[in-house]
Amino acid sequence: MALPPFIARYLGNQLMSKSLRSKLEQLHFRDAGHGYDAFGLHPSFISFGAGITRWPYEKYFRVVSTGHAHLPNEGAAILASNHSGNIPIDGMMLWHDVLRHTTPPRVVRGIADHFVPALPFIGTTFARGGMVGGSRGNVRSLLEAGELLMIFPEGTPGIIKPFKNRYKLQRFRVGHAELAIRHKVPIIPVGIVGAEEQLPSIFSSRRLGRMLGIEAVPIPIFPFPLPVRYHIYYGAPIEVYRDLRSEDADNPEIVARIAGQVQGEVAKLIQKGLKERKGIFV
Amino acid sequence: MKSRNVLITGASSPLGEGLIERLLNDYRVEKILAVCDEGCPLTLPENERLATFQIKMRKQRKLHNLLFGAARESQVDVLIHASKVFSTHREGAAVHRYNVETVRSILDFAERHPTIKRLVFWSGAEVYQVQRDLPSLMGEQHPLNMHSGAPQWIRDRVEADVMACTRMGLSHLQIVVLRMAEILAPGCGSQFFDYLQTPICFRPLGFDPMLNFLTIEDASSAIQRSIHAQEQGVFNIPGADTLPLSRAIDRWGRIGIPVPNTVAHYLYTMRRLLRRGDFRYGMNRRRFHFTGILDGRRAADILRYIPSHPIEWPVEFEGEK
Repeated sequence: MALPPFIARYLGNQLMSKSLRSKLEQLHFRDAGHGYDAFGLHPSFISFGAGITRWPYEKYFRVVSTGHAHLPNEGAAILASNHSGNIPIDGMMLWHDVLRHTTPPRVVRGIADHFVPALPFIGTTFARGGMVGGSRGNVRSLLEAGELLMIFPEGTPGIIKPFKNRYKLQRFRVGHAELAIRHKVPIIPVGIVGAEEQLPSIFSSRRLGRMLGIEAVPIPIFPFPLPVRYHIYYGAPIEVYRDLRSEDADNPEIVARIAGQVQGEVAKLIQKGLKERKGIFV
Repeated sequence: MKSRNVLITGASSPLGEGLIERLLNDYRVEKILAVCDEGCPLTLPENERLATFQIKMRKQRKLHNLLFGAARESQVDVLIHASKVFSTHREGAAVHRYNVETVRSILDFAERHPTIKRLVFWSGAEVYQVQRDLPSLMGEQHPLNMHSGAPQWIRDRVEADVMACTRMGLSHLQIVVLRMAEILAPGCGSQFFDYLQTPICFRPLGFDPMLNFLTIEDASSAIQRSIHAQEQGVFNIPGADTLPLSRAIDRWGRIGIPVPNTVAHYLYTMRRLLRRGDFRYGMNRRRFHFTGILDGRRAADILRYIPSHPIEWPVEFEGEK
């Protein structure tokens, strides 16, 4: 991936609306000296990303989101969301939604599974848009730098689960809870409704996945995602730092309890979304 | 502040020369003993505070005589070891002796030396493992490259680094290990500098990792700070330039062509055989795929080192920002 930044910016500007374009002019990031941050984020690629996700966000998936008041305009925080749909469109829609609903606009840093940075083109493109590999050290560095993180605690099992298990949360990993306690940052639960039905799969092939260096490859029924409507719900921040000390991050019981609390809040948001929506496509 | 008498090995390298020039302007350094290997041309300025020595570095006896002779007479209290074999073509026992056994001897001698109180050891970012599931920003606790298939060039550096680290706190000697980012300059063992010497640079298709480069000015500034600091330990020394591989190629005025990994490996193996270049693609393969740059917060907090001398790139790239 060697799209020059000025071409990325030009394309992004062509694809973005005027209001989004002027909003992105206020974007702040930590320039490491050549217009990129240390992890590879470049503002021109944020414009590019915002441009190419605009049409799916506005027209195809017609994203509706609520609870923006819970998104912090500054300081470190973790967005913990459910993950589904066989391809990570939910991550892209959430990324775009946060960019739109924060002032000044914030780039939510997606924490990806280890195989993502190893994917040719995709790894680099995502890194330019703010994604980082999911190692503990990377997450720690970002939290210390006051960044907003997007974590899918279910991991790959969440996104590749069979259609019959839709909206059933997989076991939440506890890393996000541990980091939130240690670094005293809030966890904002996020429920995404709609992504589960975008690309139903017949089954997921772990053997094929192993051959390609990823966990599993879903075999979808349709060759392209369906135009489902996305609903994104931001819940009230879980301020783990109020009652806990940093040292509590080493207590497995407390960490598991907080992860369970986050899972419970995400499940409530999903249930609320399922109750409120009038149909999959409307 | 206490004045220092300093002995520097590897004085004939560009880093050694840059460091000596800086220390000659430092009023807190009284005497400088510049040591280089026999046969290396020394082009240092004449100065009454500077004495030069040429010895066979890998000969223990010569090293011993220097440290317990001239160095003791000059009351040297800081020893800076910045000497190593840079070439990737040279391998074998003699190179190992130079890169590793010399460090062992220096540590042994310095620990029982009557005047040396501090040892500064020049290590590098190449000792770290770069891998997709490891942090992109590498702190001092980052895993080291212990890969069994790593070439001697890497293995020697890791062994010397670990050896220096394991001796910390075992004697009165204060040991500072500076793991420096790659110095993008000739004569500093930079793999990337050699990589950029051809008009066309092949890079892996689909990957464009972030890289970090250091200048001689910043490297010598970090060493200078570690001479005067009180603390010992391992410190990452990043440079002021952090940019993707493709941008670095552009800014050097080269043409970057993305090719599949195996093709790049084959082309650079051929180049190495035909041109005797030092760049080894296999050794840099992971670095050319995944980001692995030094986290310099510890050096900033303790040594007060902040990189402030960016590279003067040969080519200005208009579309950079």
